[in-house]
Amino acid sequence: MTRLLPALTCAGLLIAVTTVAAVAHHGWGSYDAANPVTVNGPVENSKFENPHATIVIKGADKAWTVTLAPTSRMTARGASADIVAVGKTVSAFGYPSTVEKDEMRAERITVDGKTYELR
Amino acid sequence: MTEGAPAIFMAMEASAIGAAIRQSRWLYMSANIGHIVALMFFAGAIAVMDVRLAGGLAATAPRPLLRRARRFAIAGFLGLVLTGGILFTAEASHVVLNRVFQIKAALIALGLLNVVWVEAIIMPRIAALPPLSPMPAGARQGALASIAIWFAVAICGRAIAYF
Repeated sequence: MTRLLPALTCAGLLIAVTTVAAVAHHGWGSYDAANPVTVNGPVENSKFENPHATIVIKGADKAWTVTLAPTSRMTARGASADIVAVGKTVSAFGYPSTVEKDEMRAERITVDGKTYELR
Repeated sequence: MTEGAPAIFMAMEASAIGAAIRQSRWLYMSANIGHIVALMFFAGAIAVMDVRLAGGLAATAPRPLLRRARRFAIAGFLGLVLTGGILFTAEASHVVLNRVFQIKAALIALGLLNVVWVEAIIMPRIAALPPLSPMPAGARQGALASIAIWFAVAICGRAIAYF
């Protein structure tokens, strides 16, 4: 009993930390900071929701799902829901996901000539 | 929404409550902060109980110390369930399929089984002990298991977001 439960716990942790990051989206770890992209275009879809706001920008070549900041931070930085609403033209500078196709995490966005830092 | 999740979790996430949590400016953030605060209460109380069960703090009679710490542990645990429930509901279909969350849920079940075992088997043997008495067989094992399991639960909890 003394050794069994801690051993089981360690085994569980080992599985946890070695699990392939199939659905990772949190933080900046699963984004390719070495190859930043800038996507500019109209907002096709906007979810101003926790844990992160997301918008879909119709870029020149394809539609990008852009992960923004938590809504409270967005609001604190002045980027409220109407700033990233459907129909607005948004330029997003950020890093493509190494996990999900056509998804990026925005470092900053520019809307109507105003830039909002999101990190 | 993650397709393929069990229907109940899809419904939970799609519910009005789920939407309200996601769209509120303060609720999700408050639940996140509250989860940490509740964890502080829970971990502190559990630490006192486990140290006493393992034979530490021996100059204090076990019963009153354990009783008081248990109240904080229960309050902390209820706070964790409430705030964790809020965080879970917002992304239920996504989180329920998360491997680390599944491990965390299993570890919580294991931790609660350990609580049941300690409370049912060990605590009655401790109840009447005066200060400086040696702890009965199993007390130390229960305490070590408790500490190991709840540490692992906390680590998994934080790790959910990264997997």
